[in-house]
Amino acid sequence: MKRIILFITISSIYAQMSFTGNTETRIGESSSGYYYNETLINTNLQYGAFTNWIQLEYSDPPELGRSINGVRKLRLEYDNGPIQLKLGDLYEIWGRGLVLNSVDDQSIDRDTAIRGLTLIYNIDSFSSQFIAGKADISQSTINALGFNNRKHNYQVSHNLYGLNIQKLFGNHNLGFSFLQGLEKHPVNTFPSDTIDIKNQLHSLNYSYMSSLFDYYVEYIMSRSYEFEEETWKSHDNGKGMYGNLNLYFNLFSLNLEYINYRYATIDPISRFNIVDYYGHNQPYQNPPVAVYIHENILMNRISHQTDFNNEVGYKAELIGSFSENIEFLSIFSQSNRTHSWAMDENYMWKKDQKLPSFPSFNPVATPFKEFYTELTFHTLQNNLFIKLGYADMKDIVDLLQNTITDTSQSLTYSISSAKTVPLNLSYSFGNGWSIESKIELQWLKKGYRWYEEKNNQIIADSLMSIFLDDDGKRLDQEKNTFISFTVSKSPKWSLTLTSDKTSVKESFLENNSVVNPLEKFLGINQEKNWVNVEFVYHLTSTMRFSLLYGSLKGGLLCANGVCRIIEPFDDGFKVGLSTIF
Amino acid sequence: MKNILYFTISLLIISFLYAGQKRDMMIPDMLIKLIDGEQARLSSLLEDGPILVEFWATWCAPCKKEMIFLEEFHKKYSETGFRVLAISTDSPKSMSKVKSYIRAKKYSFLVGLDPNQEVAKKMNAMLMPTVVLIDSDRKVSWYHQGFVPGDEKEIEAQILKLLDLDHTKKSEK
Repeated sequence: MKRIILFITISSIYAQMSFTGNTETRIGESSSGYYYNETLINTNLQYGAFTNWIQLEYSDPPELGRSINGVRKLRLEYDNGPIQLKLGDLYEIWGRGLVLNSVDDQSIDRDTAIRGLTLIYNIDSFSSQFIAGKADISQSTINALGFNNRKHNYQVSHNLYGLNIQKLFGNHNLGFSFLQGLEKHPVNTFPSDTIDIKNQLHSLNYSYMSSLFDYYVEYIMSRSYEFEEETWKSHDNGKGMYGNLNLYFNLFSLNLEYINYRYATIDPISRFNIVDYYGHNQPYQNPPVAVYIHENILMNRISHQTDFNNEVGYKAELIGSFSENIEFLSIFSQSNRTHSWAMDENYMWKKDQKLPSFPSFNPVATPFKEFYTELTFHTLQNNLFIKLGYADMKDIVDLLQNTITDTSQSLTYSISSAKTVPLNLSYSFGNGWSIESKIELQWLKKGYRWYEEKNNQIIADSLMSIFLDDDGKRLDQEKNTFISFTVSKSPKWSLTLTSDKTSVKESFLENNSVVNPLEKFLGINQEKNWVNVEFVYHLTSTMRFSLLYGSLKGGLLCANGVCRIIEPFDDGFKVGLSTIF
Repeated sequence: MKNILYFTISLLIISFLYAGQKRDMMIPDMLIKLIDGEQARLSSLLEDGPILVEFWATWCAPCKKEMIFLEEFHKKYSETGFRVLAISTDSPKSMSKVKSYIRAKKYSFLVGLDPNQEVAKKMNAMLMPTVVLIDSDRKVSWYHQGFVPGDEKEIEAQILKLLDLDHTKKSEK
């Protein structure tokens, strides 16, 4: 009898239940021994006001990160009009992410999920959200043992709770957020130990929307405390600000953004040391940056790495149309640190001067600036598409030395500057066939600038490039060329040949790479070229298969101001399959 | 290692067989944040007729190419109650650009915001762009992942097929 009741209950629930999901499988193996095999399965179950999301992972090893075999993420949600309750792995964003922006970016293996509960109450013009949970956040750092390009080597545990309140007054919105985290911060001691830290974030935001313009302003204060001698002692205070103004005109829109983050002023050498410096910017904060997120490959590879503890910057973007078929986009962005830095007589870094709240290009504040513009044409009933761009970027990557006396200055820093021209062309023949080509040319300069001045006389001013030719002779710049050519037959398949080429050999280690048949056929020097061919086939409208053969250039991969070094993929296969069910 | 390989092969076979099956995929009646600051339930957006949802981002070039055609379809079939809803998955780092982009392009379709990709996950949109065609009963009529020139023809054919079905359903009622 019990079995019959159970069967009827399960059947009746199942009949009212909706079940969907998707899978993503990625397998890759290269001749240099780089191997990965990972499958992600997402399931979404809905029963009345309840929904359930489960993400399973089966990997040995994954492309990035640690192997998981079983449940990776899990969340149960209840949504009944004004009340929403979520239990499990939470990815929440408050405002523009100055206080809370938990993300799962698998391209750089960054996961800042909070495992806990959140309660949202939302009526007409008022909304509030309470959150409580634990975030175990892993990061890669050279300041902890076991640094590895593929796996994170440093994990910090945060116990969090907080509240976010938003109230709408007509077109005006006013909000307040509070978030507290109790952190077990591992330090480099033997035997290994942790420090107890309490981080508190308070913020106020205000926004206004109209048909002609809108703006958003948020101000944040951070306080941290360290647990010492049975009591919480004040550790550090910080503050931050973000502003955004959008102006809408008939033919164009102007988007202005301003950032001013002053959570901590750490010396130029230690500013990315997350092990010995704590209680400042938190990994579950992911605020906006002054860097523009590009669509093209080569610009993203040299993207500026934002110092989330200490950066002042702005971004101005103009976008519009000259006519129905011609559009334009222009961006200028600039940022630097809030102070200039100098060394004392013992070669120890000291804060020199507080710089204005508007960025300049003073090398002692590790600045960055970029200009980008593009024109887009689409004509012949939108069958022909042309996009031509131009980018000019300059970034002071690291300040290495700055000694100042009454009569002299000696300054050394590393610099990266590039001019990039991306071109994208596509033509659709109207019968399902189309061709597309992407060409990106980049002239990149990287090196160390040494400047020395004595009694107002310049003694030295030189730039030493890091690029060497095959004979070891120094070269002024490196030329990078990225070309891809695609043939597609909509809606079934596409075939892309990609060549990623540099003019300078980037590794002087002994080259053990195998010249594969594709490179042999194209007559390519493998040390400076990465060539691959990719075939994508849509088996059904819900099933997509991809097969890549060849090599991929590794290097810096940046997403949203956070960068990670990705290993190159040398002569191998990558298979991918995604399905929706 | 062997177990993972067997698992992957089995999954591929099951997915292949299962993905080909025609069955009703129901989308939850979730709350969608719109670009004008309002929030709307999916069911209320479907009151006038079916919708085509596109997941896009300001840094996704194929998404933007696809949007030119989606605007055309939104205007062409709006009399039938059909609408396009383009949901931006831009994070707070590029969120401010969404409205200025839409305004500069003078797009008239609905625009939603999904910065933490919750809506995208519930609609099984893993790649960008992904197009989901949803009928008035919140059932998925068609999915499409990626965009290459020429795909717009298939998208329009699927819209027409759904509008025809929707019209037949309404006349039966």
